Amino acid sequence: VKLGLLELRRRPFRFAVAGASLLLLSVLLLFLGGLLDGLYLGSTGLLRAQKGDLVVYSSASNDSLVRSRIDPELRSVVDGVEGVSSTGGLGVALVGGRVPDRDELANLSVTGFELPVASMPSDVALAPGQALADRSLEAAGVEVGQTVEVGSAATPIEVVGWVEDTDYLQQGGFFVEPSTWRLVLGQSRPDSNLPEGTFQALVVEVDPGSDPTAVADAIDAATAGATSTLTIDEAVQALPGIKEQNSTFSAIIYVTLFVAGLVVALFFALLTLERVRLYSVLKAIGASSRQVFASVVTQSVVVAGLSFVLGAVIMWLLTLVLPAEVPVALVPSRLVQTGVLLVVMSSLGATISLRRVVRVDPASAIG
Amino acid sequence: VRFALLSAAVGLLVFLILFQQALFGSLLLSFTGALENQSGTVLVYGAEARKNLAGSVILPPQQQAVAAVEGVGASAPVGEATLTVEAGGDEVNASIFGFTPGGPGEPTRVVDGRMPTGPTEALASKEDRDAGFAIGDTVTSVDGDVAMQVVGLTERSRYSVSPTLWVTFDGYVALREAANPDATAVLPSVMAVVPAAGVSPSVLAERITSQVDGVEALTRDAAVAESPGVSATTTSFNLILALALLVVALVIGFFFVILTVQKTPSLVLLRAIGAPSWYLVRSVLVQIALVVVAGVVVGLALTFAAVSAISAGLPISVDGTTFAVLVAAVVGLALVGAAFALVRVARLDPASVVDPEGRGAAS
Repeated sequence: VKLGLLELRRRPFRFAVAGASLLLLSVLLLFLGGLLDGLYLGSTGLLRAQKGDLVVYSSASNDSLVRSRIDPELRSVVDGVEGVSSTGGLGVALVGGRVPDRDELANLSVTGFELPVASMPSDVALAPGQALADRSLEAAGVEVGQTVEVGSAATPIEVVGWVEDTDYLQQGGFFVEPSTWRLVLGQSRPDSNLPEGTFQALVVEVDPGSDPTAVADAIDAATAGATSTLTIDEAVQALPGIKEQNSTFSAIIYVTLFVAGLVVALFFALLTLERVRLYSVLKAIGASSRQVFASVVTQSVVVAGLSFVLGAVIMWLLTLVLPAEVPVALVPSRLVQTGVLLVVMSSLGATISLRRVVRVDPASAIG
Repeated sequence: VRFALLSAAVGLLVFLILFQQALFGSLLLSFTGALENQSGTVLVYGAEARKNLAGSVILPPQQQAVAAVEGVGASAPVGEATLTVEAGGDEVNASIFGFTPGGPGEPTRVVDGRMPTGPTEALASKEDRDAGFAIGDTVTSVDGDVAMQVVGLTERSRYSVSPTLWVTFDGYVALREAANPDATAVLPSVMAVVPAAGVSPSVLAERITSQVDGVEALTRDAAVAESPGVSATTTSFNLILALALLVVALVIGFFFVILTVQKTPSLVLLRAIGAPSWYLVRSVLVQIALVVVAGVVVGLALTFAAVSAISAGLPISVDGTTFAVLVAAVVGLALVGAAFALVRVARLDPASVVDPEGRGAAS
């Protein structure tokens, strides 16, 4: 192992092939992962931020929030189901907002809510015409105290505070009390207008100790199939494109990881070929196959680790210059996962050389 | 073995590049094919929609103002909405386009059947014909109140990666009202416009934007390119492509440099016994060509296998021209990557055969 590390220190250029390739592959992996996370986080914040356990849609909506409608009658049926602790109406209007002193409109997800989300105080109370804006809207110039003109009817709404990680379908969360949301929806989207008391969906808090899945089934049974009740995780997965995004990007990420392993395998196979004589000498003076092989694997781990760290730095710099429309998010768990997988794949790649290392004959050291 | 390994690595990289491009092209087409393949060469959006068809509405005074702009040859309303419909016994999300038959905004790639003539007829995307959208099938609103018979099929005209139905504007209004009985009005999403003779779409688009309050007019090409998500997807995929191409050049380049260094004594000996430089360079070039060709064949085979195996709601198709360009780029970059090795071979000094270390490369 020490011999391997010593060689890495003294002849780093020898490992430039593998290092540079792994560096590029690291950037590629982190970019793909960052894009996947950015798309996921920017689309699902509204649902992930809910403190409730279940989301109730009308069954005709195919689990789409904007197409769903729950009227007061249906809500009262849900309220009466055993295991339901409380319900809160929820609705969105995806519109543009005119921010003072900005030419570009901000993309807003104007959200009417009754139950506070994770980043709100539990006693939050908004007056009509007031909003809590998602921090992501700061990039669009939104500030506390401003009045944003919302939708095609330019409904004036004053920003009175912030919420975090609540974006929906890549539009910035803009939380208002229900009548303000209903006004914006009716004025800007007359074809989506909903009457007083009707929401697009309900967020349900279940009684402590109740099984949310069982309560979901009970709700759908009580409404005779007029509703489709999902857990928060199921609701997130039901959002348009989320599953497809996940499977497509994951497939590309795994192919890239496989290529990384192959690059390392190729490199160390060549390196081992070059060193058969050296290894035979090492074995002749007492080194075991295990020691020689450990040295090769150590080198692959160090090269992969260093390449990944450098790749992460480059990726971070890249996020600073990428246009805001590219939704890349560097999430710590993704960094760790990618780093570990890259090192593991590199180690696996290096094991390709194991057979050749084991077969080196110490006697060949003397010809 | 070493050449097989390298060919396999190049093959996987070629697969990565080609598959991503096939995915990218198909994704864009499924996102915006309907905009690309309709007859309006100018599309007028509500300004607050930020070029997002789903978020756009055109108010009645704006419709009249657009029609009155000098240089407008014809204009017609186009509505778009994603609705749940029942097709083939299943409830599915479909993108519904309402248009005026014979007017701007009608689909241009009808490949089978005919145009709808009334509010109970529809054109469907050919890609979804096996999912209850074939000619003769009936598609209904979820409550069953509105029924549409498929009378024709379009190609390359999907929108938002969903089955896409083209119906008359009356049919569109009926479907939207069935989806939300509380709707106070069903307005067009955009106005599709054809310029008068002698007026270019770009000039007309600028004129409409400047003369009509609260609208943003775009040429058809701009509407496609600037659709939400399209430029972000394009930037992302281009970055991924550039990185993958760089890795190809790097892998091939370093492989042949290592090979050259490893074989230097033999190559110097060949030079010393009279083999000319070009002969050795040609040999290395042949090796590179064989490795790259084998890699491209492997990559193409993997790509075609993956394209035919994967569907996941997105019909992936292969564009021959794009593939040819990418394969040419891979071959070109492989040569660039290997240039260092070729230069090294070309500069070998035959006299260095007497060097006991056998380091024949000119330094």
